[in-house]
Amino acid sequence: MRTIAGLTCLVLCTLCAAAFPGGSAQVADLKPEQCLGGAPDAPIRLEIFSDFECPACRQLYLESVRPVLKEYCSLDKVCVVYMEFPLQGHKYSRQAARYAKAAQKLGKKEYQVVVDAIFQNQEIWVKDGSVDDVVFKALGSNSYVNLKKLLLDPSIDAAINAEQAEGEKREVKSTPTLFIYALAKEQKVEGPLPYFVLKDFFDRIVK
Amino acid sequence: MVLRILHWICRLGLAGTFFYTGYIKLGPGLLEPNLQFAAVLYGYRLFPEPLLMPLARYFPWVEIALAILLLVGWKMRYVALAACALIASFISILTITYLRGIDANCGCFSFDDRIGPLTIVRDGLILLPALYLLAETVWSPRTAVQRS
Repeated sequence: MRTIAGLTCLVLCTLCAAAFPGGSAQVADLKPEQCLGGAPDAPIRLEIFSDFECPACRQLYLESVRPVLKEYCSLDKVCVVYMEFPLQGHKYSRQAARYAKAAQKLGKKEYQVVVDAIFQNQEIWVKDGSVDDVVFKALGSNSYVNLKKLLLDPSIDAAINAEQAEGEKREVKSTPTLFIYALAKEQKVEGPLPYFVLKDFFDRIVK
Repeated sequence: MVLRILHWICRLGLAGTFFYTGYIKLGPGLLEPNLQFAAVLYGYRLFPEPLLMPLARYFPWVEIALAILLLVGWKMRYVALAACALIASFISILTITYLRGIDANCGCFSFDDRIGPLTIVRDGLILLPALYLLAETVWSPRTAVQRS
């Protein structure tokens, strides 16, 4: 009986150790401008499939991503990548995504400013679609004029469509959905993740 | 004979359940937390922050250890008691979260499982075999020991 019990334990422990549910992952190459913060070769990558009109995405950005940008991305320990995933029921989220994508083409600073302003003022523009006003106030006139020109570029919509297709390929069902790559492993997380959880996880890898 | 079969059905069923629910919550490496499970625990809005990551890291191993102990049959009375206590605490947490009107993920058998009356009833049904094993060891300790 003891032998059977011992063998059972051994088999179960081996099974657990050999087959952890989190998969190993190869991360796709990134261009520096794709990162909202941090360098593409940072040891940790945080890819977020997000919708600008979704309240949980706003919560994730304001409560978790903002401090990550400040504490980890500024030191190139983490690269944050926003993947646009505008949901069908949200009237203005695609419009907001277009502004963010255009700002990404302007430069990292402008991209950060626009993403921050869109999430920060979500409650305002979500009522009437006044994303334009929010972006204008955040960017200032010079950058705003350049951004308006970029909005005419068809590659903006193509980029959003490509990211949406990528999300569907990776079975993103809701926003926000995070893919965290570290130590050649991937973790998928659906829903907001508090900063202290991310901090605990990051500190074990990069501190 | 019937009782013996019932005993093994309860033990194997509970062990399988705990093994599966522990396994899906494991992180991508030994004692690495599963961040999705951490997000689920956070969603309950019940656990204090310092407790959340240790729970995410070690709790799946508690479930797996319980599964192994159920299979092995060592100290069945205490193992059955621990299983009852664990399932009862799940039911309490789910009920509290549901009554508070929080739309949270159960995280019991998958990470795509919203808390509702059905999830609470399901956990209630899982409590039955644990209660049976406990009752068996309490009321007929000699037979239970012999069986194990």
